[in-house]
Amino acid sequence: MPALNGLLWLISYWLIGEVVIHFSGLPISSGVVGMLLLCTTLAVIGRVPASLAAAAQPLIALLAMLIMPGVVGVFFILNELAGQWLAIVAALLLGTLLSVFTTLWLLTRLMGRSHAD
Amino acid sequence: MLTNLLPTLTATPLLAVGLTLAAYLVGSAVFIRLGKPSWLPAILIAALLLAAILALLGQPYATYQQGATWLTVLLGPATVALGMPLYQQLPHIHELWRPLAACLPIAAALAACYALGIAWLLGASPDILASIAAKSVTAPIAIGITEQLGGNVALLMGSLLVTGVLTIPFVSLAARLLRINDERIIGFALGLNGHAIGTVRAFDISPTAGAFASLGMSLTGIFTALLLPLAWRLVGIGAG
Repeated sequence: MPALNGLLWLISYWLIGEVVIHFSGLPISSGVVGMLLLCTTLAVIGRVPASLAAAAQPLIALLAMLIMPGVVGVFFILNELAGQWLAIVAALLLGTLLSVFTTLWLLTRLMGRSHAD
Repeated sequence: MLTNLLPTLTATPLLAVGLTLAAYLVGSAVFIRLGKPSWLPAILIAALLLAAILALLGQPYATYQQGATWLTVLLGPATVALGMPLYQQLPHIHELWRPLAACLPIAAALAACYALGIAWLLGASPDILASIAAKSVTAPIAIGITEQLGGNVALLMGSLLVTGVLTIPFVSLAARLLRINDERIIGFALGLNGHAIGTVRAFDISPTAGAFASLGMSLTGIFTALLLPLAWRLVGIGAG
């Protein structure tokens, strides 16, 4: 069962993340710490072990399903948000429009300049 | 007999897990049948379906959520698993690291700040601000950030959906107005602003756009996860 082996890797890195956060007190989630540690480990080894890929690929493919219980929750808090809708919708709509323009404009300018170097 | 049936079924987490699996599979099938519309992601169809079933069964969300913990606990190892595609994208970072390193902190910070600024000006409460701050971050990482900030995860999920769906037409509009054809730039903007939903769209454009979208998504997630909770604590919004 190579996938089980890989799953143990993933769970161990997550637990290591918990330990790091417990002792450092950093306000980061242990998943992110585990992800960075995993990426660093792979960069040091220089390849992706087959057992790890066997566990990681199906889990990543299932991400949409794993977040569904959270998505469903939004339909149950609609009443609590009454009166805040305008602020929320305006923030998401305008905020996303502005940030899309900024990203494209900024990256075009930066890439143009680096090519000119 | 029937009145006793529901409590018997909800006594195990398997009903919640089964309903989630069923809604996910049906949602994906409907999504494909509709020709994969970018404005209606599969997860939104599935979530609507699941919410309707729960309402019909008269099952409170809290009960469902408790049972679904059996699935959501896997989000931890699944987030760690994202380290693998991140490693596989390192060559792209190497190729363009200078413009990306300069663009990412500014663009990712603005993705959060624009929305926070607008919501704050319109009088949104601190709870709301904490819930929408991670709107451009991929869901597994965004959930962790929002829990750190003390926001509402359900509202975050709604914000993620809206942001992801809006990013797609906004990027095509902005690219046309700014006359940008570079697939790397378009892909990066899709992933940075529209997380997983934008990244899926970028893979439809081309594999290069997709690779840069995944890169934008991962880097935004890491950058925001490392700095947003810290910035939040310093500014003291959470204390309000």
